[in-house]
Amino acid sequence: MTAVRAVAKEIKGYHAFVKFMIFLVVLAAVASLARFVFGLGATTNMDDTYPWGLWISFDVVTAVPLAAGAFTLGAIVHCFNIKKLEPLVRPAIVTGFLGYSLVCVGLVLDLGQPHKGWHVLRYWNLHSPMFEVAMCVMAYTTVLFLEFLSPVAEKFGWHIPLRILRWLEMPLVILAAAISTLHQSSLGTFFLIAVDKLHSLWYNPLLPLLFWVSAICCGMCIIIVEATACHKWMGQPNEGVLLRTLAKILPYTLGFYIFLRVYTLMALSEGPFFDVPVFTLLFFLELGIGFILPFLMFTSNSVRNDDRRRVIAALLVIFGLVLNRFNVSMFGMMDPNHMYYPSIIESLVTIGIIAGHILFFVLIAKYFPIFEHHPETVDYTIPDSFHKIDDGKPKQEKEQKEVLPEGSAASELS
Amino acid sequence: MSKVDTSKQNAFLIDMTKCTGCRGCQVACKQWNQLEAENTEFFSGEGYQNPPAMSEYTFTRIKFRDYEKNGQNEFAFYKEMCMHCDDPACASVCPVGAFEKTPEGPVIYKADRCIGCRFCMIACPFGVPKYEWSKGLPLVKKCTGCHDRVTAGLQPACATACPTAITYGPRDEMIKIAEERVAKHPDKYIRKIYGKEEAGGTSVIYLTSLPFDELGFKKVTLRPLPEYTWQALRFVPAAFLTVGGSLSALSWINHRRDRLKNEQEDAEQVDTPADEKED
Repeated sequence: MTAVRAVAKEIKGYHAFVKFMIFLVVLAAVASLARFVFGLGATTNMDDTYPWGLWISFDVVTAVPLAAGAFTLGAIVHCFNIKKLEPLVRPAIVTGFLGYSLVCVGLVLDLGQPHKGWHVLRYWNLHSPMFEVAMCVMAYTTVLFLEFLSPVAEKFGWHIPLRILRWLEMPLVILAAAISTLHQSSLGTFFLIAVDKLHSLWYNPLLPLLFWVSAICCGMCIIIVEATACHKWMGQPNEGVLLRTLAKILPYTLGFYIFLRVYTLMALSEGPFFDVPVFTLLFFLELGIGFILPFLMFTSNSVRNDDRRRVIAALLVIFGLVLNRFNVSMFGMMDPNHMYYPSIIESLVTIGIIAGHILFFVLIAKYFPIFEHHPETVDYTIPDSFHKIDDGKPKQEKEQKEVLPEGSAASELS
Repeated sequence: MSKVDTSKQNAFLIDMTKCTGCRGCQVACKQWNQLEAENTEFFSGEGYQNPPAMSEYTFTRIKFRDYEKNGQNEFAFYKEMCMHCDDPACASVCPVGAFEKTPEGPVIYKADRCIGCRFCMIACPFGVPKYEWSKGLPLVKKCTGCHDRVTAGLQPACATACPTAITYGPRDEMIKIAEERVAKHPDKYIRKIYGKEEAGGTSVIYLTSLPFDELGFKKVTLRPLPEYTWQALRFVPAAFLTVGGSLSALSWINHRRDRLKNEQEDAEQVDTPADEKED
C-alpha cells in the first residue's frame, strides 16, 4: 500500500502536461480494449477494400522511420568517428527504443491473431517482406533494449553488466545500422507487390532504397527536433553547436534523396503521373515542401547556425517523410468513390501511442541519466576487471575514470 | 517462386457466354463450405448482383452486366472467385506461409498459421482474400478451390453445380479447349483467354463475348507478382553484409588511427625527461 501511495504522490507532483499525456495513454488503452471486445470491423473503418488503415500507415510504416535517429546517430558517432556528437546518442537511443516498442504495441493491436504473432519465428517465409520486417523489428528492439540498459545499469550501479554493455557497444552499433537498413528498406518492399494499386507517382522499383535514404534523413532531423525541444521545455543545455554539425550532413543525404526520387520518377516509373489533381497536390507538397525546401534551407549557413530556422527545416523534413509514408501506404491506393478515414477509436489509439512516446521519454529522462552522460568520463576500452594489463598509466587515474559515471548518477539521485 | 509445371494442375475453364446467371455455383459454394447467408437487399450494389461484393461469407458470386444487342436488352455475366494463381502473391507475402499452391491446383489457406496481418489482401491483384471483420480475433477467408473435394477425386462444388459454363480439368487441356472455342467461333468470343497469362498464369481461365474490363475484370500485370518483391528482397543478405562489413571496416580504421595517435603521444611522453614525466 505504501508503494501505491508513494507512486500516487509522485504522480501528483508531475507537471500538468505529463498528467495530460497519462490521460491520453489511458484513453488509448481503453480504446484498444474496445478493439478486442467488439472486433476490428466495429471499432475501425477498415474493410475489405482498405485492409490496412491508420494503424499500419502511422504506427508501423511511419513510426519506424521516425525512430531511425538511434541507428543513424550511432553510426555517425561510432563508425564515422564524429565523437563530439556523443552527448546526443543516449536521448536518441531512448527515443528509438520507445519508438520500436510502441511499433510492436501498434502491430499487436492491428494483428487479427496477436496471440499467434510468435508464428513468425516458427514458420519462416523468406519471400515475405513482412517476415523480414517482423524479424528485424524484433531483433532491433532487442538491440535497442541492450543499448538502453546502459543508463539503467549506471543508475543502479550494476558494474559488471555495464562493463559487458560497454564492450558490446561497437558490435551493437554496427548490428543496429545493418538491421535498420534491412527493415527500413523492406517497409518499401511491402508496396512493390501493390503493382496495379499504388499510383505511379509513388510506385517504382527503387521504393526500398528511397525508404532507407529518407529514413536516414528523418533520423537526423528527429534528433535536431528532440534536442531543441529538450532544451526549450526540459531545461537541458543548448546543443546548438552539435546540431550544427548534424545539419551539415543533411544537405548531402537530402540531396541524394531528391536526386533518387526525381531519377526514379523520370526513368523507372511509368505514367500517367498527373491524372489525379489531389495526388499531384500531395506529391508536390511532399517533395517540394517536405524535401526540396528544407534541402535548400540546410545548404544555407545562416539557417544551420540559427536554432529556430534549423528546427523549422528539420520539422519540414519530418512532415515530408510522414506525408510520403501516408501517400505510399494509404492515399496513393485510394479509390475516390470509396474513401477511408480513421475511426475515433483508431485515432484515439494512435494519439495515445504518440502521447505514450512523449510520456515515457519524459519519465525516463526524469529517473535515468540520459542527459547527464559525459563521454569524456567514460572509458570505452575493453574492460579489464582483474587489472591484468598494465598499460603504464597510474592506477588511481583509471579507477577514477570507472567510478565517475556512477558518481554522477548517484549525485543525481540525491 | 516455384518453377513447378502447372500444366497438369487442375484449372477451371469458365465460359461466360454459356453462363445463364442461375447462381447455382453461389449456392453450392455456400453449402459445401457451410457459409452463413448474408442479409442483403436487391440493388444494394451495382446492377443485379447479390450480395453486393465477395465477403467472409461469400467466396464466389455472379456479377451481372446489362448491355444492348440488336436493340434487345441482354445480360452478360462474370463469375468472381479466387483465381488460384500459378505463382500466388498471397503465398509470397504471407510472413508465416499460411497460403500454399497445392500440386492439385487450388491455393489453400492454413488458418492455424495465420497471424491476421492482412498483407495477402493488399497483395492480391484480384482482391480475393476477405477478412472476418465482425470478429474480435479475425481470420482471412477465401475460396478453397474445394481442395478437400479435389483430393477426394471430386470436382469443386461450383463446377459440379454449374449446368453449362464451367469445365474442370488439367490446365493445359482447359487452355486447349478455350483456344479451340475461340478459333471455331471468332464472332462469338473476344480473342483473349483471361487467366492464361494474367499474374503469371492462373488456374481459373475465362472466355467472354464482351470486353473483359467492361465485365469488371481487373487489368493486371502479366508478370508473376512475387517477382516484384523478390527483385528487392534478394538483395537482403548482400545489403546486411555490405552495411555491416563496411561500417565494421570503417570503425576499425578509425579506432586504429586513434590508437596509433595515442601511442605516438605516449611515446613522445616517454621520450621526455623523467623529471618532467613525474608531474
